[in-house]
Amino acid sequence: MNTPEIMSLVIIVVLILGWRITWLATRVDRANARAERTWAALDAALVRRAQRALELVLLPGIDPATALLVSDAAAAALEPNLSRRDREQAESDLSHVLDAVVPTLSASTNKLDPERARASICRRLHNDAVATALSLRRRHTVRILRLAGRAAAPRTFEMADGPELGWLRER
Amino acid sequence: MTEQRRSLRVGIVCPYSFDVPGGVQNHVLGLARYLRQAGHQPSVLAPGELDPAAATLNVEDFSSAGAAMPVRYNGSVARVNFGPLSAARVGRWLRKGQFDLLHIHEPITPSISLLALWAAEQPVVTTFHTATPRSRSMQLAGGVLSAAIEKIDAGIAVSESARNVVVQHLGRDAVVIPNGIQFDAFAGHAAAATPERSSHPKLIFLGRLDEPRKGLDVLLAAGPLIMESHPHLEVIVAGQGHRPVPPWCRSLGMISEEQKIALLGASDVFVAPHLERESFGIVLLEAMASGVPIVASELPSFLDLLGPAQAEGRLGELFVAGDHRDLARAVRQVLEQPNPLRTARAQQAARGYDWSSVGTAVLAVYRAALSAAPRNFAAKGAG
Repeated sequence: MNTPEIMSLVIIVVLILGWRITWLATRVDRANARAERTWAALDAALVRRAQRALELVLLPGIDPATALLVSDAAAAALEPNLSRRDREQAESDLSHVLDAVVPTLSASTNKLDPERARASICRRLHNDAVATALSLRRRHTVRILRLAGRAAAPRTFEMADGPELGWLRER
Repeated sequence: MTEQRRSLRVGIVCPYSFDVPGGVQNHVLGLARYLRQAGHQPSVLAPGELDPAAATLNVEDFSSAGAAMPVRYNGSVARVNFGPLSAARVGRWLRKGQFDLLHIHEPITPSISLLALWAAEQPVVTTFHTATPRSRSMQLAGGVLSAAIEKIDAGIAVSESARNVVVQHLGRDAVVIPNGIQFDAFAGHAAAATPERSSHPKLIFLGRLDEPRKGLDVLLAAGPLIMESHPHLEVIVAGQGHRPVPPWCRSLGMISEEQKIALLGASDVFVAPHLERESFGIVLLEAMASGVPIVASELPSFLDLLGPAQAEGRLGELFVAGDHRDLARAVRQVLEQPNPLRTARAQQAARGYDWSSVGTAVLAVYRAALSAAPRNFAAKGAG
């Protein structure tokens, strides 16, 4: 093989490698973006769930003990600037309170029920997106070439869920 | 915050041909019908042609992906599309439809589903129907397939067993939403037919006749054993495919949806002798809705519908898959000790699978997927 042939071979190899790395970087970007968007969606869904829970207090005929239990839990979840761990704890507590309280209510909770389901679905989508992003980050090529950039690795959101879609059954 | 419930343009992709009946095809038709009734705009892309006379779908809501090629696949004969021509058709449909969201069924099959997933720019919801592990082909197809799987925004699995496959083999997660049925169609007919039951008991099997995994052989082996104690038993089988049956068995061939409803309503025991890989068991559910006593093999997906094998509360009689003696025992048990309470509970359980519930759940996943979509798509999901 003479020099021009070797040169063109090297160029082809470099091009293919470059294309593969670009493609991988695109996938990493896409996965990170999805993890961020699903977090925003989950955050919003949790806030709406807590707001709907607070509205339970306004239901006619609700007893003061129940009202206090629910409003405490919802207010704790709505607290601004919670650390990640405190937020997970507060949202879990709200789930437990709603699990205990909702079946005892005689009034309809048909505004709250879809929000509880939505929060569960959003959490599943978020944790799924985080898992994809993390598995891409673990790849050698991604680590060595720092394709994930400086952004912090996304984290799953761990909390006790309410019913995901079980509420549909009782309708 | 106000609930925005704007009409969604939903592109639904079905990989299997509408020229033949099938569980996925029926599910897609039911979903499209539900979405239309709920005020949305579904558009279905599938191989084959829609039969306008029999279809429950508006003709303008359907686009054909062309003729499909029969391929033996997953133990069945599947009619699938692939190649550049199909890819071009999928591309045209996507451009024309301007969808807010794509709902792709069985995405990891060599078909228009994978092509649509590959080409999709909008948020993608997928439904996994089969519980078939595909890890080896996953490894062989490598990065291309992983990149396609990463494009899924929200996964739906039709049963816990289908979800397990998604988690273990695709490394993704899925919300479990069962297949839907038109509960009233089945339940309504059953009530009318009930008094005629039981003089000559009718046993019914529905499913492809020539596919070993549907287990017709097991039923035919059990037939003589059952007839020792029930000589007047009528055994009726209906489904696609050709297969010789013994003289005591009546084979109806392919039947329409109406015939199926009538047949279920007039029968005394429904047998689901499937051997493996049944991902959901929609006919089992339709039989439950019809109020027919159930005999089914112990497959995970059937247990999902009937309750665990040991539990007192299970909704049908179970037998060991492939064991014709055990099947005969189960059928005799159902015929000799009728349990109307259990049948009524099974019917009640089937009501939860009506499209009114299942469709609401699917829409909840659409809204969640849209709420996490890039800005230009997310507006539709607000609320």
